[in-house]
Amino acid sequence: MTTKALTFPRLFPRPKAEWGIWSWIGTVDHKRIGTLYGITAFIWFLIAGIEALLMRIQLSSAENTFVGPETYNQLFTMHGTTMVFLVIMPLSAAFFNWLIPLQIGARDVAFPRLNALSFWIFLIGSLLINAGWVTGDAPNGGWFGYAPNSGIDYNPGLGMTYWAIGLNLLGVASIAAGLNFIVTILNMRAPGMSMFKLPVFTWMTLITSILIVLAMPILAVAGIQLQTDRLYGTNFFNPLGGGDPVMWQHIFWLFGHPEVYILILPAMGIVSEVLPTFSRKPLFGYPFVVFAGIVIAFMGWFVWSHHMFTVGLGPAANSAFTISTMLIGVPTGIKIFNWIATMWRGNIRLNTAMLFSISFIAMFTIGGLSGIMHAAPTADAQQQDTYFIVAHFHYVLVGGSLLGIFSGIYYWWPKFTGWYLNEKLGIANWALMFIGFNIQFAPLHWVGLDGMPRRIYTYAENMGWEGTNLLASIGGFILGLGVLIFMINLVVSRIQKRVAPADPWDGRTLEWSTSSPPPPHDFDEIPQVEYRDDFWFKKYPETIAEYYGHGEHDQTVPSGAQVDDDTDEESMPVVSGGAYGHDAGEHGHDKIHLPDMSYYPIILAIGLGIFGIGFLTHWGVIIAGAPVFIWGLFGWSMEPVNDPETKTS
Amino acid sequence: MFRVSKSFFPLPSARMGTAALLLAPVAIALLAACTPDNAQSTFGTAGPIAEDQANLFKFIFWIAAVVFVLVEGAVIYAAIRYRRRSDSDKLPYQTHGNTKLEITWTIVPAIILIGVAIPTLAQIWGQQSGVPDDLGEVLNVEAIGHQWWFEFRYPDHEVITANELHIPVGRPISFKIVSQDVVHSFWVPKIAGKVDMVPLNDNFMWMIGSEVGTFYGQCAEFCGIAHAHMRFRVIVQTEEDFQAWLDGMHTAPDAPAPGSPEAAGQQLFAANCSTCHTNNSTSPGSYAQEINTQQARWNGWISDTENSLIVSAPNLTNFGDHITLGAGLKDLNQDSLVAWITDPSSIKIGTRMQKHAAIYRTPDGELRPDGKPGLSESEISDIATYLLSLKPGSGSGDDTADSPDSGSVDGAAVFATNCTGCHSTGDDTKIGPGLAGVGERAASRVQGLSADEYIEQSIREPGASIVPGFNNLMPPWGHLGDDKIDALVTYLKTLK
Repeated sequence: MTTKALTFPRLFPRPKAEWGIWSWIGTVDHKRIGTLYGITAFIWFLIAGIEALLMRIQLSSAENTFVGPETYNQLFTMHGTTMVFLVIMPLSAAFFNWLIPLQIGARDVAFPRLNALSFWIFLIGSLLINAGWVTGDAPNGGWFGYAPNSGIDYNPGLGMTYWAIGLNLLGVASIAAGLNFIVTILNMRAPGMSMFKLPVFTWMTLITSILIVLAMPILAVAGIQLQTDRLYGTNFFNPLGGGDPVMWQHIFWLFGHPEVYILILPAMGIVSEVLPTFSRKPLFGYPFVVFAGIVIAFMGWFVWSHHMFTVGLGPAANSAFTISTMLIGVPTGIKIFNWIATMWRGNIRLNTAMLFSISFIAMFTIGGLSGIMHAAPTADAQQQDTYFIVAHFHYVLVGGSLLGIFSGIYYWWPKFTGWYLNEKLGIANWALMFIGFNIQFAPLHWVGLDGMPRRIYTYAENMGWEGTNLLASIGGFILGLGVLIFMINLVVSRIQKRVAPADPWDGRTLEWSTSSPPPPHDFDEIPQVEYRDDFWFKKYPETIAEYYGHGEHDQTVPSGAQVDDDTDEESMPVVSGGAYGHDAGEHGHDKIHLPDMSYYPIILAIGLGIFGIGFLTHWGVIIAGAPVFIWGLFGWSMEPVNDPETKTS
Repeated sequence: MFRVSKSFFPLPSARMGTAALLLAPVAIALLAACTPDNAQSTFGTAGPIAEDQANLFKFIFWIAAVVFVLVEGAVIYAAIRYRRRSDSDKLPYQTHGNTKLEITWTIVPAIILIGVAIPTLAQIWGQQSGVPDDLGEVLNVEAIGHQWWFEFRYPDHEVITANELHIPVGRPISFKIVSQDVVHSFWVPKIAGKVDMVPLNDNFMWMIGSEVGTFYGQCAEFCGIAHAHMRFRVIVQTEEDFQAWLDGMHTAPDAPAPGSPEAAGQQLFAANCSTCHTNNSTSPGSYAQEINTQQARWNGWISDTENSLIVSAPNLTNFGDHITLGAGLKDLNQDSLVAWITDPSSIKIGTRMQKHAAIYRTPDGELRPDGKPGLSESEISDIATYLLSLKPGSGSGDDTADSPDSGSVDGAAVFATNCTGCHSTGDDTKIGPGLAGVGERAASRVQGLSADEYIEQSIREPGASIVPGFNNLMPPWGHLGDDKIDALVTYLKTLK
């Protein structure tokens, strides 16, 4: 290709660094972007954890004065917002980035620069939403931002404006990432990998990405409306102007409930990989687990008003959402039963990753069962907005999502880094988190049924809540100690550096077929896929008949595979825009197409960030940000994926 | 193949530990049922609605407990029974699944959930679609959420009160659930579950208190800085006691003896507190007036949320009969009331009283640096004594007017004690208009009224003619009595 009709003046050379900070700022490598997501999200995890511990200190005794109500309101607002948007979602994104290309036998995601853009917008959005801590205006209207308490009349100051603008930026990042992974999974599977040969984690990523792409725009609309209500005097949710606060609740939860599945489905995907590997058995009932995930994601759109059973929607609406909510328990149950059946008659290795996954099943089950209890609106009339709800969703999001994510960290760490995490410290990490978590959150069921509302910064001595709260606070610190042990483990393991081979766990999926850590191009040869758990069955061909039955497994060219046998492999879009391809000669493999690095994602993201700051300060800043934004946009458009003159890889 | 974990996991103890931990939630939920005496426990109920709700919870709980034991038992059993015994890499049978099992564990939970859904749906329609007809005479109450207190209105009886809801035992109460500002939630755990108070979206709920007693309520929806302190009490009374309370709410207190602390407190209250707190909604027509006044106070606050000198505030009629202050925060007595007036935020951080009321400001309208009111300790004590004396009186006619104690009354003194909270003698606006030159303006204000007549009307019935640009906020001031009003009119006309 020699077409160079359009060029854009370059202010600086294209990044080529392989080491140091510039190699990260210009990177478009899915693995490096995954690492960036992981590190950033973990830092926010520590901050949100500290916020939680400050709240637990405040609540550990009645009429405590450790923090005042304003600080407390900021703490619970930012704890929830951070954990949802800056911890669990981006930690999941770290796994998506790292694993999806590896699991489907690809060399990168479909849109590598878009992938980098997602991360940089996420980073800037996360800084903006937390900037209120520095300026003294931290958001204080709850992660759910109920109108009109989040409106300018009742909540003057910049806090909730930071919140709305930050969420809008994060939404852009999530939508871009979601689209990226949908396209990647649908289009870039290795030859022969039909949809029903996808690893379950990849399936759950696909489903999650679809949910993200559909749900985040709803939040974006809500955020923009709230923002214009606050800044420009619109009346979407402002009852003083005839706006409807209930509309906010509908919009928020129409986003908010799919969001719950955005938070839990990736963890379900993780345990669906860990349990089979350490049980040395295939996932039991693969199609049922996959379809249960699809059904959960679909039905997740029809249950939002169970967050609003006390809003007064009337018996007809409450009945309808009761039925849909209880129904969604069925596919959830299917998953749990299949995970248990996966362990059944297995050869179970109880290492840290497996213990986290088993704990996931145990704890998520509790969260599911308490969920049924407030799926009944009249029972929920007592539970709504009490600590019973707090206990419930922490069993889902900590006992579920977070334990699942920790399982994934221990499971894939050797693949990410090439060395193992220390197993003794791992067990201690697991035990402290598991025990601390239960001591913290099990008693909160009790204190909730005892009538303690959520989001109160203190309570009177004569309510009988003190002992339970003290117990929960102690549990919180034990959980925090577990996280501390994890961080120690990272350091100790790095020093010990016990080197891991490509396939340390006798794994089942394609990521274990390449080296640990994988080379920049992931696979020397793009794998040819014949089976579900293809890597496993190629290692143990004698077990193929056990899984597929005799004579039924011979479907080497399955329907739905992306690449037909007669397609010229050269034209296969291994990475996007391979038109400017170059040879990775030094690796001795032909036709390895990797996109070149680019600064434009971060420039574009900075431009968007300046817009956000402009909304918070002065419209002049928006004007000032426009050139940066446009520069990023045009530079990106005019920049070829690969420079013809670049000869390194 | 390289193995990482060998036997780091000490199985026997961990087995018991895990089992104990998994059972902990069950044990804790069971324990909860053992503290039904806690003030806001949702067990140990005192009304059929809450009782049915608790029973539905228990029904679902026990089903969930069975599922819990089976599932967690299976998890623990599988983890222990099928754990790797040695370093064996034995390959288990690579089964793909079992369709019969899949169908079973799809259908069985579905059937269980149908079993849960049927009584649930029955209860939804039983509790949320109106008061059943056969329960006797319904008492209508409007519960109104304010940041951060509850107002209760009895429209059929023209009674208005705050933070302490009186209801008769055994009678169905039909609530109109309203919010004036943000979303709150009305919740009396022992008697009924909660219903949110949503601005512009009036809600309905009903309840029956089946036991005489005092029950705790609390706002359950996050509503701002003092959310934790937005509480109330429900006082369930016998029918006779309830009727007596209603009658008492229509009976004005006896006038304080001249020269008593109560009398001094009455003057101080009128001058400093009555813009926001009505305390005399006993007479016919005062119910409608209070509704209008409360709305006007709120309009005043929302139009200038930072500097307003008025704000919605609880009605203090017969306040001496209350048992708590500050929206259910403290037992009501002289000490706690003095502490409240002296520094409300020490009891309820975030209360608007200290931010907006004129007594916490300097004459220039700035907040006083010490945060305390511009009153002496004895004055605060007199106000508290007066408020605690507000109980239904002997009911002997019009006893609100002061007895004429002397022939000559000093209008300037009457103005100083009664009016300066809201009116200046200059041109500036405090809450009401500045009164310089009022004598000249008054003559031409309303056709057919002389200056004297207009000023007198503005004192006795302020709502009859509102100066453009001002809200209808001023309470009727007829209780001053004819002598003082005459002196006041004379004095006001002298202001230039």
